[in-house]
Amino acid sequence: MTEARAPATPPIRHSPIWTRAFHSLNLLVLLVMAASGLQIYNANPVFGGRGGATVPELLALGGWLAGGRDWHFGFMGLYALNLGVWIALLIGQRRRRLADTGDLGTLKVSQNRAKRRLSAHRLVYTLMLILLAFGLITGLAMYKPAQFWWLSGLFSFGEAFGATSWQTLRVAHFATIPAIALLMLTHVVLSWRIGGLRLLRSMFA
Amino acid sequence: MAQQAATTDSSQLNRRQLLGLGVSGGSSLLLGGCALNGLNESVGNATQPLNERIEALMQGKGPVPLFRRDQVDPKHLLVNSFNGVPQLDPARYRLRVDGLVSRPMSLDLAALAALPQHELVMRHVCVEGWAAIVAWSGVRLADVLALAGISSLGGYLAIDSADQYFETWDIASALHPQTLLATAMNGAPLPAVNGAPVRLATPIKLGYKLSKWVTGLKVMASLGDRRGTWEDQGYEWFAGL
Repeated sequence: MTEARAPATPPIRHSPIWTRAFHSLNLLVLLVMAASGLQIYNANPVFGGRGGATVPELLALGGWLAGGRDWHFGFMGLYALNLGVWIALLIGQRRRRLADTGDLGTLKVSQNRAKRRLSAHRLVYTLMLILLAFGLITGLAMYKPAQFWWLSGLFSFGEAFGATSWQTLRVAHFATIPAIALLMLTHVVLSWRIGGLRLLRSMFA
Repeated sequence: MAQQAATTDSSQLNRRQLLGLGVSGGSSLLLGGCALNGLNESVGNATQPLNERIEALMQGKGPVPLFRRDQVDPKHLLVNSFNGVPQLDPARYRLRVDGLVSRPMSLDLAALAALPQHELVMRHVCVEGWAAIVAWSGVRLADVLALAGISSLGGYLAIDSADQYFETWDIASALHPQTLLATAMNGAPLPAVNGAPVRLATPIKLGYKLSKWVTGLKVMASLGDRRGTWEDQGYEWFAGL
């Protein structure tokens, strides 16, 4: 019976409008922040300084340093607002969405695939929030190092290894790009294994 | 029934198109960012006024903490020059102070040396991304402006340099107790490449606001067409830290 009706796939159950809006907005904001960030990187590479290897201009947004700063500081408000609303929404649903120590146990010992997937997802959500907040904090500490001197000062731990607190801060801020990209990839792969393209589509359109 | 299928089909197509649009939009942002570079100024203009107001608000909270002398790292201070290194004769050097002041004046280095001297061990932050801890010493810009008697109408300060570099500042930042006209760096007389004999130094502004080879200060009621050598190219004007 189901065989006969196979061509008519069940309609996609769309995610709530706010989930879809946040996914699109997040993707856009993260792409702009990363691309304009790489433009700023190129003015004085974090690794190697003046004369260090730069990122291909194709991946950078803004054309030159001032343009990159226009985009980066233009979108930082959206990034912060987006993150704030997201944290508020997730905390509202923390029992379902945010990881706790039980999830680590589930991943270690559980044989139940559905439970494992759910735990992995919650872990990714939680890590993503922490990373996004870390990006904001390290960014603020470099954007306003005089006003947020106490924030910039937290990064003086690098001095024990011969790195100035400024260089530690630059590396930490830059590291959020590969870290968030990796987490995003994990998030997409996990979702793909659950619902394939159909789930992915339900998240954006 | 057929109609239902048709509408489902077309709505799916729409969704597919929408998804495609999103993906291609995202990738074009990533790969063809150049096309968006024309919007740089619009994005900047839309957000900078609010950002600058927040910056000015935060900066109004007074002096910022400084560093210890042993944290000075001379090798991290890179040199940027817009138009070579002018060699100024200290004996013939004069600092012109005019505009909206009650006593326009021309100060030589001895007159500057006679004013109270201050040292700032501060983080010197370049817009390019690097930073260095530097000990600048000299006189407070506020003391020099007080000597000339600044008018209450003066809202801005224009700073001329021997190499034709030009800057404008808001008067509050110029009068900040940690804004210096520096004549020495790390305990030694200011080297020519770092702005000898007189340059600006403050922990509250980005490096491109800190003019070297300063020769003239003009107090103004409003900003003119020229806001600064780099600002006129697209950099932020307030540039607070």
